[in-house]
Amino acid sequence: MATLTTPKIEARSVSKIYVSARTGDKVEALRGVSFSMKPGEFVSIVGPSGCGKSTLLSLIAGFATPSAGEVLFDGKPIDGPDPARGVMFQDYALFPWRTVRGNVEFGPMARGVDKTRRAAIVARNIEMVGLAGFEDRYPHELSGGMRQRCALARLLANEPDMWLMDEPLAAVDLQTRVILQDELLRLWGDAGDPAQRRAVLFVTHGIDEAVYLSDRVIVLGRRPGQVKEIVDIDLPRPRIGARTAPRAAALIDHIWNLIRAEAAQAIVEEP
Amino acid sequence: MRVMRPIARLAEFALALGILVILWHLLSVRVANATLLPSPLAVALAWVELLRTDLPADIAASLVHLGVGYGAGAALGLALAILCARSAVADAIVDPAMELLRPIGAIAWIPIAIVFFGIGRGVPMFLIFYASAFPIFVNTLAGVREVDRNLIAAARMLGASPRLVVTHVVLPAAMPLVLAGARLSLGVAWAAMVAAELTGADAGLGWRIFWYQEFFAMDKVMAVILTIGVFGYLLDLALRRLQAALTRWSADTRAEAA
Ligand SMILES: Nc1ncnc2c1ncn2[C@@H]1O[C@H](COP(=O)(O)OP(=O)(O)O)[C@@H](O)[C@H]1O
Ligand SMILES: [Mg+2]
Repeated sequence: MATLTTPKIEARSVSKIYVSARTGDKVEALRGVSFSMKPGEFVSIVGPSGCGKSTLLSLIAGFATPSAGEVLFDGKPIDGPDPARGVMFQDYALFPWRTVRGNVEFGPMARGVDKTRRAAIVARNIEMVGLAGFEDRYPHELSGGMRQRCALARLLANEPDMWLMDEPLAAVDLQTRVILQDELLRLWGDAGDPAQRRAVLFVTHGIDEAVYLSDRVIVLGRRPGQVKEIVDIDLPRPRIGARTAPRAAALIDHIWNLIRAEAAQAIVEEP
Repeated sequence: MRVMRPIARLAEFALALGILVILWHLLSVRVANATLLPSPLAVALAWVELLRTDLPADIAASLVHLGVGYGAGAALGLALAILCARSAVADAIVDPAMELLRPIGAIAWIPIAIVFFGIGRGVPMFLIFYASAFPIFVNTLAGVREVDRNLIAAARMLGASPRLVVTHVVLPAAMPLVLAGARLSLGVAWAAMVAAELTGADAGLGWRIFWYQEFFAMDKVMAVILTIGVFGYLLDLALRRLQAALTRWSADTRAEAA
């Protein structure tokens, strides 16, 4: 039974080792990762590239299973993907043969929502992310920022209980990113009733972005990915319009100091 | 630009054709032997005459061979590829067998097909069937295997059942390669058809070449050959149109169709 005190997500000593099917080589992507998330909490994961951020997200999404430890969602072990946990992929993973409308409609269609209700859901979500008028475009006819919005609308249209987002803003330009950060906060309910918010697990390598958006930031170290520190972001909400608080700068410095050495190492080692 | 380009291309095509016809004419005057090399005019006249007499029945016969052989061959290639993609056991058996049979080529089977079916409609149908199965098999299998894993994950995350993943993700994602395979198949099928009709059939365009050759009617032979070229081109054009219509979403095919 999920109660008010049941964490939305609970990861208990999660490890993940990838074994190559061809060579048998092993890559230890995560080791002994533990954390929990409250309902409605906005949590970011930061860390140098290759530290296992995407791996952790895919375990929670249910695309992969831990090699050791377990992940609980509403107190129950995760067993495969579930529409309750909506994912926004790093490269958006939009269906290229479906228009904006077709992409947003996919979830409700797959879950058997009837046609008239589907149309209303699709229209509302496309409107909400600011893509009205672009319903009939194919993904290759959209800009990076518009694809990102389309992926967000597809996620929202399925009304998931939790949002899992893998570097959703990495591929857009800086100004677009700033705008989309604010829109994300608005959609999540930055200024609204905390009880109405969804739990968000947000992977990013932007430390300032993580601090601006999150209630807590999980800092991962690399080789193998382990939790270095979980940083409470004790900035007041709403945050929209208050990007440059002195306290935020101090938190950014703190997190940056945690990962500086490894991030530099990652640059050298990345292929 | 948009309007000018097809017109310019048509003009280029007409010019190339004109030069070819003139060269052909000059050569035929030089050779001065209508049996060895008929003039373009003689071939054109023969063509007009044949279109009123023998050709319609020959075209119909060839299209029947093609329809039956290509339909069955493409369906088999498609079905085997999907089977291989879904089952490791099927893949372990079917894939090596296909790789072994593929390089043999349809034409090598003509003598066996003649013994098996006798001279008649069976030989071209079988050869077309054999030739068509491979390209669409290879392409479909590649298309299905190369489907972006993230798209499948996205569909599952959105609540799609395994069956919906196949019908709504794997098949549409593989569609450009499947259609490219269908076009390759049609090309080899057309060539196999002509060869089979020429040697092992009693109807069709290939057979008609053989027939007029017996009478040393080279103008008519040439007219039939040109008919084969025109129809082969038109069939490919039709498939190309279908390809463009079905994969409108793909930036690649759009560029190719333009
Ligand atoms: N499917 C996989 N098979 C093998 N190794 C993988 C796979 N996915 C990720 N890895 C490896 O696991 C480590 C963590 O990868 P990832 O989770 O993608 O890191 P991040 O998202 O933080 O950049 C990397 O060393 C990566 O090469
Ligand atoms: Mg990643």
